[in-house]
Formats: sequence, C-alpha cells, structure tokens
Amino acid sequence: MIQHLVDGILVGSFLSLGAIGLTMVMHILRFANFSHAELLSIGAYCALVFDKLFESVLPVLSTKFGPLSITGALAVSILISMAVTGFTAVLIDRLIFRRVRQKGGELSMVFASFGMALVIRNIIGLVFGLSSELYSRDIAFAMVLSRDPLLLVKPDQVFVLFAALIIMFGLYLVLSRTTFGFSLRAIAENPSLAQVHGVNLRRMVAAVWIIGGALGAIAGVFYGLSYQITPVMGRDLVLPIFAATIVGGIGSVYGAVLGGFIVGVASNLAPVVLPSGYSPSVPFLMILAVLLVRPNGLFGEARA
Amino acid sequence: MKTLLTVAAFAAGVSALSTGAQAQDCTTKIGATLPTSVDWGRPIAEVAQFAVDQVNEAGGAAGCQIEMVLRDTQVDPKVGVDAAKALVDLEGVNVLLGAVSSGVSMPILSSVTVPGGVMQMSCCSSSTAFTKLSEEGKTDGLWFRTFATTAVQSAMGAKVAADKGYGSIAILYKNDDWGQDMARLIAADFAAAGIKVTSSVAVNDGQPSYRAEVTKALGGEPEALYLALYPNEGTSAVREWLSLGGTQNMILANSLKSDEFRDNVGLQYLGNALGTDTASPRVASADAFKTTYVEKFGSEPNGPGLANSFDAAMIALLAMEAAGKDASGKDIAASVAKVTDPDGTPVTADVAGFKKASETLAGGGTVKYQGATGDVRFDANGDVSAPAVVWKFTDSGVDEVEYLSLGEVDAFIASLKK
Repeated sequence: MIQHLVDGILVGSFLSLGAIGLTMVMHILRFANFSHAELLSIGAYCALVFDKLFESVLPVLSTKFGPLSITGALAVSILISMAVTGFTAVLIDRLIFRRVRQKGGELSMVFASFGMALVIRNIIGLVFGLSSELYSRDIAFAMVLSRDPLLLVKPDQVFVLFAALIIMFGLYLVLSRTTFGFSLRAIAENPSLAQVHGVNLRRMVAAVWIIGGALGAIAGVFYGLSYQITPVMGRDLVLPIFAATIVGGIGSVYGAVLGGFIVGVASNLAPVVLPSGYSPSVPFLMILAVLLVRPNGLFGEARA
Repeated sequence: MKTLLTVAAFAAGVSALSTGAQAQDCTTKIGATLPTSVDWGRPIAEVAQFAVDQVNEAGGAAGCQIEMVLRDTQVDPKVGVDAAKALVDLEGVNVLLGAVSSGVSMPILSSVTVPGGVMQMSCCSSSTAFTKLSEEGKTDGLWFRTFATTAVQSAMGAKVAADKGYGSIAILYKNDDWGQDMARLIAADFAAAGIKVTSSVAVNDGQPSYRAEVTKALGGEPEALYLALYPNEGTSAVREWLSLGGTQNMILANSLKSDEFRDNVGLQYLGNALGTDTASPRVASADAFKTTYVEKFGSEPNGPGLANSFDAAMIALLAMEAAGKDASGKDIAASVAKVTDPDGTPVTADVAGFKKASETLAGGGTVKYQGATGDVRFDANGDVSAPAVVWKFTDSGVDEVEYLSLGEVDAFIASLKK
C-alpha cells in the first residue's frame, strides 16, 4: 500500500511537468492540444541524440553521478533538448496552428493537433525505428528504504521528483513575481485588453510554447530515464496528462501539478483495489469524479 | 428422356465396373475458405491445392477426382461466413478447409459447418475457445485443426518450472485474448505440476508505467516469474521487476524471443531466463515434405501454416477415402480417426502414400498418416499437439536448450491431466 503511494507520487512528478505546459497552452490559446504529449517524445529523443554525441566526443562526461544513472552528458543534453523542443513547439505553432487559428474554429484546432500528433509520432518512428531505446542499458537497482512495510525507491526517481519540484517552484516564482508572469496571465484573461495595455501577443504566445516545450522535454527525459523511450510514448502519456490537466482545472498551473500527482497516485493504487486489467480506466474515473463535484476542475475558474 | 436414362445407366455401369484408380468420370467438390487476398494467405491455399493435386494423381478420393473450390475470407469474419455459406449451400461441399484466423474459423464453425453437418478442418487457428466449444459438445465432432493450441506452450512452461524445481511463481500476462488464454492455462498447469502461483497480474500495453503491476506481482515473494508479454511492455516490466529486486529466474513465452527484448533488458540479467516455443518436427516425413515443397514451389516452406495446411488437406481427403462414396460430412469426420490411428499402417504424405492408404482402407485396415507436421493425432476435441523446444538467450540470438518430440510433449501433457 505505502509502496504504491510512493510510486504514485514519483510517477506523478513527470505527469505534472507535462500537464503544466498543456494547461498553459489550453488556457491561453484556448484549444485542446492533443499533440502536446508528442513534445515529450521530441524532448526524449533529442536528449538521446545529444547524449550519445557527447558520450562519444567527450568520454569524460559519461561517468555517472553517484547512484544515479544520469551522466554529465545527459545533463547537458537535457538543457539542449529543452531549447530544441521549445523552439520546435514554436515552429509547429507558426507553421500549423497559427494558420488554422486564423481561419478555422476551435474544433479545427483540435483536429489539427490530432493530425500533428500522428505526423510527429511517425516521423520519430521513421528516423529512430519503432523499437524502444534507453539512455543507459544498466538497470538502476532500487534502494530498500524500509523492510517492514517493504519500501523500495530508485535513486533516479527521487532525483526526478526533486528536480520536478524545483522546476515547478521556479516557474511559480516567474509567474507570480515578474512582469512577464503578469503579462502571461493578462493574455489568458483577456487577449484584446492585454494588447491595449502594450502586451505583445505574438511574443507571449511564443513564450508559452517555449515553456510548454521545455517542460515537456524534461518530462520526456525523466520518463525515458525511469522506463524506456519509444516512438509511441506520446500516445501512452497523452491521456494521463490530459486527465491531470482537467482534474487540476484548465489554466491553473498549481492545479496541473496537483492533478499530475493525483492521477499518478490513483493509477498506482488502482491495482490494489481493481483487477489490474482495469487500471487504464482510472484516469477517466478521476476526471468524471472531479468534474461531477467541481465542473471546472479543482483550481479552474468558470470563464465567460 | 429415354436417352438420358440410358446414358445415366451406362455411366453407372462404367463407374461400377471400373476399379478405384481408374474411376475418373466423377468429381467431388471440397471447399476452402482461406485469406488469399493477404500475402501470407495465398501460399497456404496453394499448398492445400498441391495436396489435392497429389491425391488426384493417385486416383482421387472415394472413387472421384477432387476439385477444391477456393474462396477468399479477407481475414474478415463476415466475408468468411458468406464464402463458407456459398460453398456449403451452392456447391454442396461436405468438407471445408479453413479458415486461418480463429476469429474467422469460429463463426464459420458455429453458423455454417455445424448446422450444415459439414466437416471443417483448419490449418492455422490456435485459440483454445474451440477446445472449450468442443468440450461443451457444440462442434458435433465436425471440427479439426492441424495447428497446436497455446496449451502446448503453457504445458512446456510448467515443465521448465518443474525441472528447475521452482516452488512458487508469479505470472505477468498481456491483457488480450492470447494473454488471458495463456494465463488461464499456465496457472492450471503450474497447479497440476505442484507449483504455487503467488499472483497472476494482467498488464495492459501502452501504459506510462508498469510499476504498480510489478509491485503487485512481487508481493507474494515468488521464486520465479512467468512472462506472457510482448517485447515492448515486456522490457519495461522486466526492467522494473529486476530493479525492485525481483528474481532473475524467469520463464518466457515465445513472444519474447526477440533481440530487442534481450538487448534492452540486458543479457547479464537473462542468464536464468528460459523460453518455450513449439517446434517443427524432426522426423523424416517432415523433411520429405520440405523436399517436395522446394521441388514444386522453388522455395523453402518457411511461411506460417504451410505444413499444417498441407496436412489438413491431406487428412481431409484420406478421411473422404476412408468414409467411401457419397459419405456425409459427419461420416467423413468420424473417419478421421481411421487415418490418424497410431496403431495403423504408416503411410507417407504423397501419391504413393495415398495409394497405399486406399488399399489398406479397402482391406478394412486403418492408417497412420505421417505428414508434414509429423504423425498427426487428434484428441477428442480435434486438437493436435506439437513438438516443443526450450531456449535461452545468447550473445548472438537464441540457443536451443532442449528439444521435446511430439511423444514427449504428449506424455507430459497427459501427466498434467492426471
């Protein structure tokens, strides 16, 4: 029981990172972006490429940090991957979503994002092959935290949890304490009014995509570090991330964080209560339960 | 009218006068519903036709030349049922070969062949749902297949665990038809072999994490782990299992016989992992089929179900021969035992073999058919068994640890059922 709870919190950390980006895009651009989880794939594969590159060019970087399976090469690759994924997200917006936004309705955007998800997934499959990849083939063995009740935790997962919490706190500071943060919130509230007050809409939209992409990249790498990297990881993650976003309330960064942890814990506790074959249904049950009580999600607000 | 009667009487006289091998003035139709529109389906149909050709060369079955009327199923149950209906109702066949997929064979069996009293022999359907249907008495003894069910694989899993002396085992299975089938069978086989199953956990593919499932399986502290998974989720689940301190004593279904799985889990952790699989028989009759196949088609019979399809057609025709002229589907089905009798006269799967079988059957004897898949023998449910191998991973791929002949497999399965 306690093991499932701890595992759920650890899984929740990368769901939260993915959900933050999604909730911001959904709030500010007002469409359900089904291709958001593909940014995680892009980030994971991008880091994989640079990781292999650095390891072969600078072998010094391939030593691991203590008990973690993260190497210097991977740490640098994560930073590069964040930038690349952020700019890829902006590029996709410029090439596809902005054009659709100008001409089509909300529903067109949703379909465009579905299409985009398929395109990205298949390009990745075409380039990297359909079989799964790993950052490190060594298996990171879990540490025994307690014998009774049995509690096992992998060092990598603890690192992922703390890194995710630090990043979320950083983002919280930016959104609540800086002019940039206020501008973002103004755009989300009322785009026209914000523009009258001198907020550059195009630049803000790009900023949202960069933040979303960068957080997605981290989430993707963390996911790959804990499990494996496959071209279809976006497909596997899109529903839990959407569930986290909706449970938390669209537009609320804090809601997304909490939603991620709730979905993570709920799916890990599911096999305790339900036959394990039914565990994929848990995120949906979470959405239903929350929406019945709070139609706008835990932290969401009704929008005119 | 009078002339017509005379002609008919004359024809009857001729056919009555002529002896077996020369009786060429009548044609009996048999049906085949196979997925000829998919690339792996066409060779299955061609090899069935090849069996028919050889029987015709030997003088045909039950005194008549055989015409195989072939219809495409498109691997679609609706199309398959329509095709089978047309064959039974319009062409009036008493024997139907096919289909390949269990999902197509099943509706044909339940809505066409059983109501129509037609014998159905499939080359390639492996689902244990047919076994269950037969046990419930719903197939009227009309159903046969020359493809071993998943039961062989599960029995081998139990054998490996028993040989290794594992006392308890956890099962992780893929949550689909095959995985659920496998999990149900293997749990029963482990129990029969006296091995305690600590937990049996379904794994859905495409999950972000298999941690919860693995934690649940670890719960009973099993001595070994049985895996009926595909490589993708198998890799994730096994890495998770090992990292949480799970045992390296693993038994793998044939679905995990993959380089991707070996490389991503790591050979260093798979030293105690043994896999099971069914194998092609290592007997002279199987080699003989290979040789004639290469002569006829110019390539090795490496596609799925080819040897099985050849045997299905051959056995069906032998049964027709044994049942005699104008036999019903039920009579033919009942005669299958006469041509696959372990104590019968051995016959080979070619022109000479068929001639020898005709003579033996005409003399009231029974026949042991030695075919492309070995000495085929059906159990009460129309199922066959198959030889098996136990394998392990090596640097270059997989190595065979043990080969079990058909007899050994059958003996072990029988010992489990006691």
